[in-house]
Amino acid sequence: MTGTLWLAWRQQRLLVLAGALLVAALTVWVALRRADLMEAISGYDLSQCKGWNGECPPQTYAAMSQAGGGIRLLGAIGLALPAAIGMFWGAPLIGRELESGTIKVVLTQDTGVRGWFAARFGLAALCAVAVSTAVAGLLAWWWAPIANMYDGVYWHDPYILNASGPSAVAAALFALAAGTAIGLLVRRTLPAMGVTLAAVLAVAAVLTFFRRDFVTPVDRITPGTQPKQLIGSAWSAGYRYLTPDGAQHPLENCLFSGERLRACMDEHGFTGRVHKVYPSSDFWTFQAIDTTVYLLLALALVTLTTVRLRGRRLG
Amino acid sequence: MNDPTARPALRATAIGQRFRGNQALHDCDFEIPAGRISALVGPNGAGKSTLFHLATGLLRPTTGEIRVFGALPGSRAARARTAFVSQDKPLYPQFTVAEMLSVGRRLSPRHWDQAKAERIVGEGGIPPKSRIGTLSGGKRTRVALALALGKQADLLLLDEPLADLDPLVRHEVMGLLMAEAADRGITVVISSHVLPELENVCDHVLLLRDGRIRLAGDAQDLREAHTRLTGRADPGTPDGLPRGADRGAVVHATTTGRQLTALLRNAPGSPLPSGVDERWITATPSLEELLLAHLRSGPRSAAHGAEAAA
Repeated sequence: MTGTLWLAWRQQRLLVLAGALLVAALTVWVALRRADLMEAISGYDLSQCKGWNGECPPQTYAAMSQAGGGIRLLGAIGLALPAAIGMFWGAPLIGRELESGTIKVVLTQDTGVRGWFAARFGLAALCAVAVSTAVAGLLAWWWAPIANMYDGVYWHDPYILNASGPSAVAAALFALAAGTAIGLLVRRTLPAMGVTLAAVLAVAAVLTFFRRDFVTPVDRITPGTQPKQLIGSAWSAGYRYLTPDGAQHPLENCLFSGERLRACMDEHGFTGRVHKVYPSSDFWTFQAIDTTVYLLLALALVTLTTVRLRGRRLG
Repeated sequence: MNDPTARPALRATAIGQRFRGNQALHDCDFEIPAGRISALVGPNGAGKSTLFHLATGLLRPTTGEIRVFGALPGSRAARARTAFVSQDKPLYPQFTVAEMLSVGRRLSPRHWDQAKAERIVGEGGIPPKSRIGTLSGGKRTRVALALALGKQADLLLLDEPLADLDPLVRHEVMGLLMAEAADRGITVVISSHVLPELENVCDHVLLLRDGRIRLAGDAQDLREAHTRLTGRADPGTPDGLPRGADRGAVVHATTTGRQLTALLRNAPGSPLPSGVDERWITATPSLEELLLAHLRSGPRSAAHGAEAAA
């Protein structure tokens, strides 16, 4: 085991170094920018700006909004991280060995294929978890003081929902496993990198664009034309009209306000309005779904890789 | 050395290998005797590399079974006793020579001989600190051989080890291998399509063509079982061969002008083919002549006929 671990380290040390440098640079940047943010918002009462309610005083808003761009940039780095790990760490892990034929040298030594794969995938997985945890943690730490503030970055933005929390770490593991398996199947590094990029983006897109289909929103019902409850930190999933039998009807039936709305609702027999929302606590529901999907996919891909490696089409 | 009861180093039973509908090996049965130097001969694409990949466990045969000292190739027992240099001599280009040898030392620690590996590299004038990527083809081959010989395996499998080496280095490398074989009494299998370089080295031959074993056995026995025939072509027969000669025993025959050269299998129990008289010059063929004749022989020969009928 120590021999294979040495080989894994010798081959991956540049990637480990690159990951460590990235984390170090981001840590310095975030620490400085977050200190600026804390200084800027000290003395302001941020509680008025909680949620999208429009009560935020302009000076308070100005003080905290300077951090928004940086947080979005860090979020974008976090979003790109799994794809980068899959392409540059996963795809060559076995793909380059097959392409160059060096797998024939390694697998004809005393050490078996299992120990060889465990060492190199283990080291890569450890680093992927470490780097993605660090980036997700930095993002959450920077965002926390101005989380879900008026016109700011919300929990349901992909910058936060995809790039922080346990699902960001699970996404990195999935991308690594996908790159590794694709490298083994494609047997060439460059095409494997392309396929890995497409696969990682496709899974992220499905989870991002269809996530609201997996979770039922909460109905906030207001009778008649009473003013609606403010949205706050919740994530709006649209409006419906309510009839006395409890049925919900699409918004397109009455698009007006004031007196015309009242008339339209009477005409259709609508007795109330429904605002479908995901409260901010659903962050953890979405995170749990993404994390589970990513981890199950990663497990399936690692299993596929080990089965294929033991199946021997390596010459 | 030729003890027939000794366990073979390699035994293949009816192995076949198929790649995406392309049959690389058909129903091969053979044994490689332990303690000897065997030549695996055949044209490019005959299935030589496939055979090596099966013997190292890098491939599993589609059909049949192959055993290395009785163990399944790729198993722990077989891996520890086998060393392999593949045709492309893959090495890590970004590693130094010393690091490349460390791969052998750390991954095959059981019998690793660091001094031997370093000596082989050193005799080639290769500094241990130089990068693999900067070495010439010949030097890279030397590092690959050092990696294989340092492992101190009982079975050394070498796929075209001498291709892309200049004659001088080829001679050196061959000497290195012979010394190793003599020192440790190991089994060596060398594949090549360059026949002369095997002539003085190999005492066992396996001839592969179109994925089938065409000839297998002790080099001396095989030579003595054949006769090279030269003389004036017999004007009374359409093929120029002696009237009484058994046409089924002809491996290959060529006529240039009135001169006929032919390689024939000897009649059972006789040092000569049947129907050959004193008007012909007969000689025991060299190994190269024997292998060339079998490589050139057309579809009339028995093995090939069987393939055509199948």
